[in-house]
Amino acid sequence: MTDESGVSDGKTVVTERMSLRIVSLLLLVAAVSVFVLWSVNPVGSGSESTFALFLAVDMVCVAMISYVERAVSHEGRMARAPLIAGCVFILLLVFAGIYLTN
Amino acid sequence: MADMESPKEEGPEEERSGVVQRALGWFDSRLGLSYQLLRPAPQYSINPFYWLGALATVAFVIQGVTGSIMMLYYVPDPTQAYATTQYIFQNVSYGTFLETIHLYTAYAMIMLAFMHLMRGYFVSVHKKPRELMWVTGMAMGFVTLGFGFTGYLLPWTIVSKSATDVGIGMMGALPQPVASFLTFLVVGSGSDAGELLRFYDLHVFVLPAVLLVLLVVKMYMLEAHGVSQPTTGVESLPPKKKKLIPIFPDVSVYLVELAALFGSAVIVVSVVFPLALAPEYSAALAGQSVSQPDWYFLWIYQILKISAFEEAGLSVALGAVTVIFLLLVLLPFIDRGKTRSIRDRKLYVTLGAIFVAEVAVLAVWGYLTPGVVIPDEAAVLVLGGTALLVTLGSVVAYKVVFGGLGRMSRRGGSGGVRADRAETPVSARAVSSRSAALWTSGIFVGLLVGGAYFIAGCINAVVALRLGSSGALLSLGASGAGLSFIVVGSMFLLYRLDLGSGSIRRRIRAFEVGWKE
Repeated sequence: MTDESGVSDGKTVVTERMSLRIVSLLLLVAAVSVFVLWSVNPVGSGSESTFALFLAVDMVCVAMISYVERAVSHEGRMARAPLIAGCVFILLLVFAGIYLTN
Repeated sequence: MADMESPKEEGPEEERSGVVQRALGWFDSRLGLSYQLLRPAPQYSINPFYWLGALATVAFVIQGVTGSIMMLYYVPDPTQAYATTQYIFQNVSYGTFLETIHLYTAYAMIMLAFMHLMRGYFVSVHKKPRELMWVTGMAMGFVTLGFGFTGYLLPWTIVSKSATDVGIGMMGALPQPVASFLTFLVVGSGSDAGELLRFYDLHVFVLPAVLLVLLVVKMYMLEAHGVSQPTTGVESLPPKKKKLIPIFPDVSVYLVELAALFGSAVIVVSVVFPLALAPEYSAALAGQSVSQPDWYFLWIYQILKISAFEEAGLSVALGAVTVIFLLLVLLPFIDRGKTRSIRDRKLYVTLGAIFVAEVAVLAVWGYLTPGVVIPDEAAVLVLGGTALLVTLGSVVAYKVVFGGLGRMSRRGGSGGVRADRAETPVSARAVSSRSAALWTSGIFVGLLVGGAYFIAGCINAVVALRLGSSGALLSLGASGAGLSFIVVGSMFLLYRLDLGSGSIRRRIRAFEVGWKE
């Protein structure tokens, strides 16, 4: 059963357009992190950690895009919790990366 | 003219419009790109526990990539091995990250392979017709351990060389033809240069080739048999779960998701705990340090440290370890019962839980007591106590979890009449409670393993206190705190369980008024 807010069995109904927006946003984050990780100085332990953390951001983005694609193409709806957890994880990684750069 | 009027015979590409579509269609009809190569997987296999082996393969691929980059700089010679490793750490771009990722994915590969093995054991994937898949998987597990053993020596640090020498020394205690063959295989003439070169060759060429061949063989058998069904059977699953989904794109996208999450987790761990290179090996330093193998061999190392197995008893201990491995390899031909249900395999499930608990306790104990010979009575207390605790825990878990579940299934299924599980489809509610019960029993086993470990820690600390060790009080406090946490966790779990079935409340009441069901 789907209620007025588009929630069905604890999962949000997602249209093709909504999923495209989410994926575009994740691709943008991934592109920015690729730019950052290739612009850091490759020698030095601090920059290595920054590189690694932004690489991890890319991987989390890939995982989230896969999740959205799978959820939308299979069920047409997805749970919010994995997306929120992924966003929080990305934020933590970005802040840790910025902290290590400074 | 007749040719122009004849129907098209070239295939589907001619029906498509546009240059790109037609080009794709041309290639598709010749190469069979859209032909379904791999058998589709059932929807219920979209679960990380079904893909632990695939994740181990991902770890292997990451190691292949990072190892290939390190090969560009590393020189397998005792005079240069350490210096070139140090060069990678200090001068190569992202060298420390590369080394750390290589090591941690190796650890992850071993841990995932062990989890894959034990998951397969508990849900009995080794039964007909997958016996040879199990044997192949065990062979892959041994090759994975071989990767760890051979790779450990390559940096030529004091820790790695001393531990490898102990391992090679232990090979001499094996029965004679095996001992000579293995010693020749890994040491050769006996010189350091020969030993390092052989380890390098095994690590970089021989073992990867063997693993790839075994992987292809196992994948072929997986393709033939498909993924294993749930232990409860597919009849009880809702139709949505039984639906077959194609490997591409559905399962592949899921695997990409898992692999990306795994990769990000390994990267984060490598940032938090970056690898530091130990000092270089020298004969003078070797005498001053305590040799200790890496964590995945610690449980064997701890068995060999028991005083009864010192010197003359070494071959007995090695024989016992060999028997454990042989029993695991030959499991499909020993456990020949038809049932795969965890509920009906109490003996094997309990034995498996004891094995996991003993391995965990021995590994942690070995880590805490490097180079210390273990008194026989302490070994009996800790190992026997762990086995006893896990057995008791298993009996209680079966009584509480599956006993309560049985009642719930009967209540929800056929109105108080015992239903024949083989014939009557189980209701969706019973399936979900069965799944919840399996999870609960899993957490329960985890708590028991933790409890066994902390009890062992308490015993160890008490023994150390009696021997006058200064740090033992802290260890005792930590173990006691851990044990309290486990007790509270178990009580909470039992309380939660009781909310569903009310079995404990009923039994307590039965004690109060006399035992009547």
